[in-house]
Amino acid sequence: MNVRYIMKELYYQRRRTLTSILGLSIGIALLIVLNSLSLAYRQAAHVPLKEIGADITVQRSGDVPKDLAGAVFPCSAVTIRKEEVEKIQKLPGVRGIGTGLLLWVFDPNRAWIVLGIEKENSIGPSLLRSSVTEGRFLEDGKPEALVEQAYARQFGIRLNDTISVANKRFPVVGFVDASRAAKIAVANVYLTLKEAEDMAASSKGLQSVSPYAPGDVNLLFIKADQEKITGLASEMKGILGNKATVATPESFLKLLGSLFAISDKFTLAASLIAIIVAVLIAFKTMAGNIAERAREIGVLKAVGWTNRNVVSQLMSESVIQCFMAGILGLLIALGASFGLSFMKVNIPIPWEMSPTPHFLPGGGDQVFKTLQLPVHVPWNLAFFAILLSIIIGGMTGGLLGRHISKIKPSEVLRHD
Amino acid sequence: MTKSSILSGTDLSKKYGDLEVVKGVSLAIDAGEFACLVGKSGCGKTTLLSLLSGLEKPTKGQVILNGKEINGASEDELALFRRENVGFIFQSFNLIPTLSAWENVALPLFPIKMTNEERRKRATELLGKMELGHRLEHLPSALSGGEKQRVAIARALINNPKIIFADEPTGNLDSSTGEAIMDILGKLHRDEGVAILMVTHEVELAKAANRVIRMKDGEVVS
Repeated sequence: MNVRYIMKELYYQRRRTLTSILGLSIGIALLIVLNSLSLAYRQAAHVPLKEIGADITVQRSGDVPKDLAGAVFPCSAVTIRKEEVEKIQKLPGVRGIGTGLLLWVFDPNRAWIVLGIEKENSIGPSLLRSSVTEGRFLEDGKPEALVEQAYARQFGIRLNDTISVANKRFPVVGFVDASRAAKIAVANVYLTLKEAEDMAASSKGLQSVSPYAPGDVNLLFIKADQEKITGLASEMKGILGNKATVATPESFLKLLGSLFAISDKFTLAASLIAIIVAVLIAFKTMAGNIAERAREIGVLKAVGWTNRNVVSQLMSESVIQCFMAGILGLLIALGASFGLSFMKVNIPIPWEMSPTPHFLPGGGDQVFKTLQLPVHVPWNLAFFAILLSIIIGGMTGGLLGRHISKIKPSEVLRHD
Repeated sequence: MTKSSILSGTDLSKKYGDLEVVKGVSLAIDAGEFACLVGKSGCGKTTLLSLLSGLEKPTKGQVILNGKEINGASEDELALFRRENVGFIFQSFNLIPTLSAWENVALPLFPIKMTNEERRKRATELLGKMELGHRLEHLPSALSGGEKQRVAIARALINNPKIIFADEPTGNLDSSTGEAIMDILGKLHRDEGVAILMVTHEVELAKAANRVIRMKDGEVVS
């Protein structure tokens, strides 16, 4: 292999080199962009749950009392027993659990969506602590309330006002901006878990359809080992029965409905096509290039180059070209990914996960979590693409080189 | 083969299918001899040159080049043998279009482990002898026909060959340039003592040689 010869060949045959590099780089760029997009959709699907500090949410659907009065459970979130929570907590792969108690409270003059939350927990709605815009967060042992900022504005509720929910009075100690927080389990009023438990336990209507005891909950937020999420989801369904609703990043991915989100198989198939196209382009241009150089190869052999010398020269040329194509492909993909990262994606939040009575304003509206698609090219994908380019170059150059090195110099050098 | 022979071919035949292009030819070239193979187009001169130089294997017969029988050698063994013992000059020059004059001359040295400076030094020296010292960095496309052939001659000499095979070296040149090339070959033979086997169909050119071998219909006739 002679580097000087390689570089001169690539430089003076610029048109041939550029065609080859451009063709292959498009295939490589396609491969990177497709995989980056797929990864971005996957990451986007994690966002709704991630914002509430969880990997899995669990609910159980049930009945609503015929008479909508006082505190009731929404039909999508009825009692999950304390023992069931303990069983779930013990499942291998579960790293932590956050709980919540979501209630619809129908008072004579107003309907409230109330969420009872834990005071301290990095998993679940306790994360709202960081979304307090005015006042303070809830304190233990006190009957006090946080009100959602937009709701407070709509109904003229001010800080330190007292609101009456299910015949109990709660001073308003702060406002939270739920629009900045997760779109899951959004409520109008946030109470301590203890207050919500008392409210649920004392509601006859609620007890009539979904027996409840303090310590039970109706929302579970679970942090789990990433690789065990799918397995855990089915185990949880096994514990809670067929009425359980288990949401995972995978289920959000399906809701996205995009081709990339629907299936890894699509990305795999598209990537394979991109690789095959890249290989074919590389092979075709190199084959044309090498066929044009049959006479040159004949000269090399006549003046004493062995087959190995010829193959290694052609292989090195091909590897360098494909390496350059890989770099160009990566640059194209980085540019395309940057452009695609401005794309917005709306992740639909199922009504069940943030239930609002349909007869209340906005109750029937589809809720979306809108975010910029987090498209980026991970370094391992970039490394793989460059390595793949080099392998394509090596294989193409090696195969074609071996083939062309078999020519007899006497056949190609015979004078015209 | 005599003691002083650098090359000998015995009972050489070459068949392409049913067509026998070279028919039982035997000949020997002495060290330092300038021999010319003449004959009409299609009489088998170039094929015989290919057989004698190891570019092609005979269907029958034996070739001994610089004391080594080359018939049974593998492709790579033959290439290495050519690198060390043989120089070629072709009618179409066969220079690599992307390499400069000195790089073309150094082409046989590329697979050999040596520094680029060393290669350049040897190539520059030979191009100087060919009066092309001012054309070192020029690509073949920037050289005239005569200059290209002189670069090709320098390339044939870079490995200090025992024998040079020249196939119609003036075929693509005008008569005055052709004469100049013949002068160079004659000088090489006289001053350097290199054996030359040249193929030509022009009888006039053969006058520069010590010996003229005539071929007709695949056979040596005189």
